[in-house]
Parts: sequence; structure tokens; C-alpha cells
Amino acid sequence: MSLAPPERAPDTATGAAAPAGRGPVKHTGRTRPDRRRLLTRDSVPYLLIMPAVLGFAVFKAYPIVASLWISLTTGNGDDRHFTGLDNYQRLLNDPLFWTALKNTALILVVQVPLMLGLALLLALGLNSTKVWLRPLWRLGVFVPSLTGLVAAGVMFSVILNRDAGLLNWVLSLFGIDRVNWLGSPFWARVGVVLVITWHYTGYNAVMYLAGLQGIPNELYEAAMVDGAGPIRRFVSITLPQLRPILLLTVVLSTIGTLQLFDEPYVLTGGGPDNATLTVTMYLYNNGFKYFDFGYASALAYALALIVSVLGIVQVRLMGERR
Amino acid sequence: MSHQLSRRRLLQLATASAAGLGLAACGDNGSGGAAAGGDGDSGKITVWSWTTAAEGLRSVVPSFERDNPGIKVDVQDVGEPAIWDKITVGLASGGKGLADVLHIGVDYLPGYLDKFPDGIADLSKLGADKYKDAFAKGLWPTVIGKDKAAHALPWEVNPLGLFYRKDYFEKADVDPASISNWDDMIAAGRKIRAANDVQLLGLDKTGATQDMDFFQNLMQLQGAFYFDHEGRITLASPAAVKALTVIKRLNDADLLADTAGQGTGKRLLSQGKLATVADAVWAAEYLALKFPDQKGKWRVMQPPAAVPGGKRNVIVNSTYLTVSASSKRRKAAWRFIEYALTKPAEINRIFTSGGVFPALTAAYSDPKFSAPHPFYGGQKVLKPFVESLDSPSEATNFTSDYARALKFASDAQSRVLLKGADPADSLKDAAEQLAQQTGRQQAA
Repeated sequence: MSLAPPERAPDTATGAAAPAGRGPVKHTGRTRPDRRRLLTRDSVPYLLIMPAVLGFAVFKAYPIVASLWISLTTGNGDDRHFTGLDNYQRLLNDPLFWTALKNTALILVVQVPLMLGLALLLALGLNSTKVWLRPLWRLGVFVPSLTGLVAAGVMFSVILNRDAGLLNWVLSLFGIDRVNWLGSPFWARVGVVLVITWHYTGYNAVMYLAGLQGIPNELYEAAMVDGAGPIRRFVSITLPQLRPILLLTVVLSTIGTLQLFDEPYVLTGGGPDNATLTVTMYLYNNGFKYFDFGYASALAYALALIVSVLGIVQVRLMGERR
Repeated sequence: MSHQLSRRRLLQLATASAAGLGLAACGDNGSGGAAAGGDGDSGKITVWSWTTAAEGLRSVVPSFERDNPGIKVDVQDVGEPAIWDKITVGLASGGKGLADVLHIGVDYLPGYLDKFPDGIADLSKLGADKYKDAFAKGLWPTVIGKDKAAHALPWEVNPLGLFYRKDYFEKADVDPASISNWDDMIAAGRKIRAANDVQLLGLDKTGATQDMDFFQNLMQLQGAFYFDHEGRITLASPAAVKALTVIKRLNDADLLADTAGQGTGKRLLSQGKLATVADAVWAAEYLALKFPDQKGKWRVMQPPAAVPGGKRNVIVNSTYLTVSASSKRRKAAWRFIEYALTKPAEINRIFTSGGVFPALTAAYSDPKFSAPHPFYGGQKVLKPFVESLDSPSEATNFTSDYARALKFASDAQSRVLLKGADPADSLKDAAEQLAQQTGRQQAA
């Protein structure tokens, strides 16, 4: 791999001879600084990105490649045998993988639109000049996303407790029967959706708020002159202008939901009867509970494939059409 | 010294160091051996354990350090279940970052020995074999690895008991002596429930914690488990179906309280909502410690048999101390284990401070094992447990696939309790999935 531009001069410092058949160095007109110096205008960008590149190579690129290799093997530790696509085949025939994928898809389809719709409404409210104490409300909306994932899970496991939980107590004030939030497959899913929505809505609302504030007021003024009402202005100006941010939040939320782990892990441990088992939780169990690292790696690659495909589809569908 | 580096040199250095780090990481990828240990006999050793066990182990440190100048011991309470993730990650990365001494349960030990055969030190080489007959029957086979060497010393042994509220039994006019199996217990449970408005037992019905001890105990009482001694799957065996059927009958009779959720079981106990606790001997001290205001109300009896006429004594689990192969001070670590676990005075000191019931049989001659316990109204609470260890208890074959079996068993139980599924069908599904995922055969 060569990072050097093709018209690079032979490096005099290392004494390498100029390759045969190359013409003289073409200068682009501007005077170039001495390449032998460490701190030059050309080398500084490389120096600046080097920590990131090193970090990426060691902590990301290497595990990514190693994991691909491990996904094609079975065995323990050094004693690994190449088994080709066996792990992937096993995955296709594994009912628990499909259950986990179905759960994740269900949460994705229900939770992401719910959360983003709510975030948009909140952002519109927080952007309105008519709202009193706006900074305070903005802070309040954002605060949940500062909570640690595990802390949120633990907190909600207390709130959703069937017998002593806050939520059932509140419901009882309205004469509603106790709900077995974490003990019934249906309500456990609702519980997980509730926690993630609570956790991430404010984060998305703040992104929308930033987007809303970037829309030039002149557009609204012009529309009003033309007689456009609030709904017309929202549909014809706000939404199209927010499109890049909407795309960003949809893609980020999709990836985030597909990688959902902490909240259901703490809240339900994947139960009851696997109703809240997610793909990453199943991956974790295979790696760190069953020590089946080959299969866990195959799950990781399957998930990465799904995330990539969904991401590409979303960008295609929602991206700018030129 | 020149600080002038060419850009090419810079890139070369960067690539080389990245590759070097990558290769270093490659070298560590595997099961032990990579982080080479040493047989150091002095210095500071660290020990990983959890909660009260760690507390108990700390009590032996002063005398050990006095008798072994040159060795310092740092006992760390890593927490449970966090300790399993820490040990697993450490073993998977070739022993990097592991403590010198590890506290491991019987549910994890075979898995570690199987999946990371070079990760846990060979204690036979250090002289462990001379203690072969020193521990409760049935434990020694569980410390032997594929290499036929001993890799751990038994620390804790847990025979099963049934703790019960004497006051509730009396109010319902139930004589504990009349209960010999779970059929009797279910009949008695109905009377106890009617007289006291309490449930008989607590169980995590949703399976969030995958605490399957009760189901396992009912199987172990029948000499069965998820696997037989050849490692074949027996999760759908008649014994398993019987165990799950007992649980279903308890649930159908509304005798099971749901203990899902953080601290629910403890809360129900403190509110006096449960009439019995079917648990191992460690609970003897636990109950006394956690619910001092219930002093005098509790008693202990032998667990009812799972089937009429069946056996009523069983070792349900055990824990061990091991030395990590990557330890630089394996000899010092072994000396600490030997000191703590094979000297009656020391192991009993640990028992007093941490409630960990010793596996060392020589320890039972201490008077405390036949002393009356005030929390249990003066009953000699430990005596029946010690006696139950005299008769042979079948060693349970946890295998390296225990965690996966636990998951499928827990799912099967949840389906029965939450959706009313048939125990036999549910277990058949579980056994099939376990076979598919592990490649193990099902026993005929």
C-alpha cells in the first residue's frame, strides 16, 4: 500500500535511487517545504491523524479481521480448526438466532418511529418562542440521555416491578390492575421500548432542535406572505429542510437498536421465554457464557451485514435525490 | 540528536508499530500459555472471590502472612456474577490480568478446564494429590482436568436442606416429620397457605436470572442432571420431567411466589411471605444474618424426596480455589490455597467469618458443627448437613456446556410457568435445541 502521491521524488534521506523510467519531478508551482523535516505543511495532517489511525488499526481493524477469521473456525483458544461457513450455516438453522432477530426487528419497527416522532414534537415545542423557561425544558429533555445504560436498566427494573414498582402504583391510583411488566412476554417488550424511548428521545430532540434553528426564517416569512398555514409550512419547509438530520437520526437509531444490549440485559436478561432476547445479547451469551467464540463471531458478522444493508437502504430512500 | 524525520520514515514507523501491536495481540489470542507464568514463591499475590466468601478468606490472611514471611495476600471482592466475565475474558486473552488465585464454582470449573486447558495451573505438580481423600465424597473428580491432573482444591460444599418457618407449620397443624417427599409437601403447602396467607416457596418464574437451582435440586435428588456421566444430554429424561412437573403443580396450587426482579426474594422473606427456603447449607448463616428479627422462628429439615421413597440427601454444588497458569507466583499462590483449605483451624475460621461451609471433612470435628444455633431455636442446625455428607452423593457432571443447558432449561421452565406449557414437551424442545447447539447426543 502506498500513501505517497505518484509524482513523489526519490527519498534522498534513505539514499533510494530514483526508479528507472520516471521523469523529473513535476512541481505544481507553489514552493514545497523541505520534505525531510518532521513538521512540514504536508506532514502535519499525517501526524495529527496518526493516533487515530494507530488506535483504529490496533483496536478496530485487527479485531475486525481476527473476528472474521474466528467466525470461520471452531475450537478453543489456540486449538482452532478451520470449518469454513459451518458457523453461518448453523446460524441459519438456529431458532434462537431467529427469535433474537425477530425481537430486535419488532423493537426497531415500533420503537424508532415512536421515539423519533416524539423527539420531533418535543423539538418543535422547545423551538417555539412562546414556551416559558425554554432552557430549563431543553435541559430536562436531554438529561435522560446522560444516564448510564445500566443505571437506566436498573432504575426501570425497580419502576416496573410488578408488586412494588412505581408504575403499577400510579396505575392503581386510576383503578387499573397491576401489570406484570417484566414477567409477561408482551409487557416485557413494552417495558424495553419504554426504557429506550425514555433514554434516547431527548438526544434526538436536541439534534432536531439544532436542525430547526438552522432553517432560515426568511423561508417561513416568504411562505406566510404567500398565505401558507402552519401545517403547510411544516410540510413544505420544515420537513424538507430537516431531511439531512432526519436521515442521520433514522440511521443512527436503526444501528443503535440493532445493537441493543444493555437495557434488556439488565431489565429482563432476555426473558421471559426469550421475548426480549436481542441479537447482541445472544452474541454476548455465546462468547462470554458459552465460550463459543467462533459462533459469536459469525453472529457479529451477520449483524454487521444486516446493519450495513439497512443503512444503505435508508440512505438510498431518504437521501438527497440529485 | 536530530528531530528531523522524513515523512516516509514516519509512515514506516507508524505501520511497523501498528503491525507490531497487531502481532502482539495475535500472539495472545488463545487459551493460556501466551502469558507465561512462573513458580515464584514470594511477593504479593492477589485473590479474586466474592462477597461473604471474600470476607471469610480475608480472615485467614493475617495468620498466613505470619507463617509465610515474604508472601503478601490481597483478597479482592470482585462480585458475583461479575467474576465469571472477568475470569472468562482473562482466560480468553491468555491469562492476561488474572489474579493469582481464583475462586470458581463447580458450574464454571469444568467449562474453564475444557475450553482453556492451559489457563488454570496444574496443582498435582505442586503436590495437590495428597489431599485426594481429604474432602467430602464426590468432589475430587470435579477438580480433574482432561490431563488427569488436579486443577483446584475444594473449598465449599453445599448439601441441600429445607429451611422452614416453624410458626407457620404449627399454625397450619403440619408436622414436618410427616413430610418425606414433594407430594406430601404440596399437600402441606395448601394447608400452610390457607392458615397463614403465605406462599410456600419463591422462584424466579421469568427466568431473568436463570436461577434454576430448585429444578436442578429436584433432579439431583433423583441422581439426575442435564447431562449423564458420559456427557450425553438428559434434559428431557423422566427425572427432569418429574422435577418440572413438581414445579408446575406447586405453581398451579398458587404455592410459588415470583421472585423475579432485584431483591424481590429477600423482600418477600423479610416480610414473612415465604414459609420455606429450599437451599443449601450456606443459607443457614445467611438467614440468621439477614433476618435477625425472625430469630427462633426458623428450623431446618432434610429436603423432601423428589419421588416417594427417593433419596433425601444431595450435594447440590461446590466451589473451589484455583491458581491461574499465568500467575508469576504459582508456588506462593498454591501455598496460600493449601494453608486456607487444608487446615481445619483455618477453614473453620473462614466458615465463621464468611459462612462458607467447608469441604474439608477434618473440619467437622470442631464443636460448632454440633452446637445448638440460637436463630434456629437451639436446633443443632449444621449436624444434619454434616451427616448427609456421610452417605455417598453422586457427583454431578456439569460439563463444559452447562451454561447453555441452563439457558434452555430456564426457557423451558418459563414456558411452563408463564404460558402453561406441558413440562414434557417443553423439556423435549429444550433438549433438542441443546443437542443442536452443542453437537452432544441425547441419552436414549
